[in-house]
Amino acid sequence: MADSPQEIQKAVRKILWIGAILIVFTVITVALSYVELPSHSWNLIVGMIVATFKAALVALVFMHLNHEAKLIYKILAFTTVFALAIFLLIYFTSLDPLEFARF
Amino acid sequence: MDIPYTVTARPDTGLYNAKVGIWLFLASEVMLFGGLFSSYIFLRVGADYPWPVHELNVTLGFINTLVLIGSSVTVLLAWASLKLRRIGAYKLYMLITVLCAATFMVNKTFEYKAKFEHYSVTLTDGTILTGHLPHGYSLEFGDVKTLNLTVAGKTSAVDADPVKYVLPYVKGDVPKFRTEAGEEITLDAASFAKLKAEAHAKAVEKAKAEQLKEVPNWSVKLTAAAPLTFSVPPSKLLAKPAPGATMIAFRDGTSVEGRMINDKMTLEVDGVDLRATPDKEKSLAWNEHYLGSAWKKAFIEQRDHAIAEFNEKYGDGKGGTTRDPNKSATHQKHQFFMHLHSAKPESHGADGAHKAEAHAPAGHGEAHASHHPEVQLERKDVQFFSNFTPKLNSYYAIYFTLTGLHGMHVVAGALVLAYFLVCNGRMLREDPERLANRVEVGGLFWHFVDLVWIFLFPLLYLL
Repeated sequence: MADSPQEIQKAVRKILWIGAILIVFTVITVALSYVELPSHSWNLIVGMIVATFKAALVALVFMHLNHEAKLIYKILAFTTVFALAIFLLIYFTSLDPLEFARF
Repeated sequence: MDIPYTVTARPDTGLYNAKVGIWLFLASEVMLFGGLFSSYIFLRVGADYPWPVHELNVTLGFINTLVLIGSSVTVLLAWASLKLRRIGAYKLYMLITVLCAATFMVNKTFEYKAKFEHYSVTLTDGTILTGHLPHGYSLEFGDVKTLNLTVAGKTSAVDADPVKYVLPYVKGDVPKFRTEAGEEITLDAASFAKLKAEAHAKAVEKAKAEQLKEVPNWSVKLTAAAPLTFSVPPSKLLAKPAPGATMIAFRDGTSVEGRMINDKMTLEVDGVDLRATPDKEKSLAWNEHYLGSAWKKAFIEQRDHAIAEFNEKYGDGKGGTTRDPNKSATHQKHQFFMHLHSAKPESHGADGAHKAEAHAPAGHGEAHASHHPEVQLERKDVQFFSNFTPKLNSYYAIYFTLTGLHGMHVVAGALVLAYFLVCNGRMLREDPERLANRVEVGGLFWHFVDLVWIFLFPLLYLL
């Protein structure tokens, strides 16, 4: 992480900018949720894209994952795999329950 | 012994130890919330009702989002100030961060409280009425002359304990009781313990005389000096009494015979939800002794207006629409839900007189009573009722699970940051670099809490 006073000053400016961007995107999220897109699923997808973008800013800048030691990425690689596995479980909701009944 | 690598990086990892620790912890936190978000999706996909959209207080949620983002910024500023040895600024930013957390939790308390006090009543035809129970909900059961107690023969969960389970619900003063032996007693813990011991002794005697394997239950009758009237919430009874029941049993097994005086539920209706009502125009809600035809008219107007507007906006000119009305959240809301903002429906034209009446000040009693129509629901029409808690439906179940767990994280994070601020004064003087690392690690956790909320806010409040 930044250690010299100049670097820290620079980091502070960046933090304030990102904070402002996050607030702007929060307003955008709220506003978009009131817009009638072709179907409500579109609202969900757009809302989640904006939320992911905001979360990425927090993770990359506030949690300085944009420049971190290798070890941390290794730890997070495990989490990513398992988290993806959990979310892939949702695929089962698309299966016909009658198909399950044949087992 | 000093803990190694609290300030400088360990050569092999390139990190000070606490940072590796917090990231391992955050990795498991991702899994914890990941699992819950996954169950949110499962519940939502499987829900057989339109998922609530904009049903929570959006303004409060929005303010809380700003508060959390702000506190994420200030915790970083606190860290930067400490790095630059601006001690005053460091303390100020930390304080603001902790105060933001407190603000978040206070807002959450208001939000939860509103949910606990708000009720949803499902009628037998599937119609849901939402609103407030101004007097709570209690059954009034009167003309009771005797209490029929059952003293359990063996240790049992259900054993007579009228002092705790029956007497609190007696309306007015509790009279004296006469035992079967003709003795007049004031029913309290001491006199009942004596009565119970006597009954048990008789049961043991009988078991001996008849060579029974188990000590039998023993009934005890207490006759009241004056007829009793009970006012008791149904949840305090052993089973829900049928409409017009002549007998009720309390949770300790004590049963009483008498007459149901009043089992109606007074509800100040603020919403009608017809998503599960087969024929929306014949809903029980429109009965004359409930909301009545004026509200039915208002609902039909609202629905037809919404349909006309939708067709006008998205009509394809051939009588169809370019959009699927079943996939529009707002359109669904207007078709199935109606919010009631006044005591009588806003009437048009000739019925103007009604409107004035509806908004006339109540003069006495609670002021808010005039903002919503009050109905007396009969028990036979009520299928289920609950406040807005996890019991109500899977949306509120996952809402309370997710926000509750997140709220606990806010409290935990705030406690850690407050600890650094209040209790680490010596470290601040002697080893500020180490404290800066502590603040950085506490901050990482705090950002994670913010990150979770970034997803929670749209998923629960907006979409």
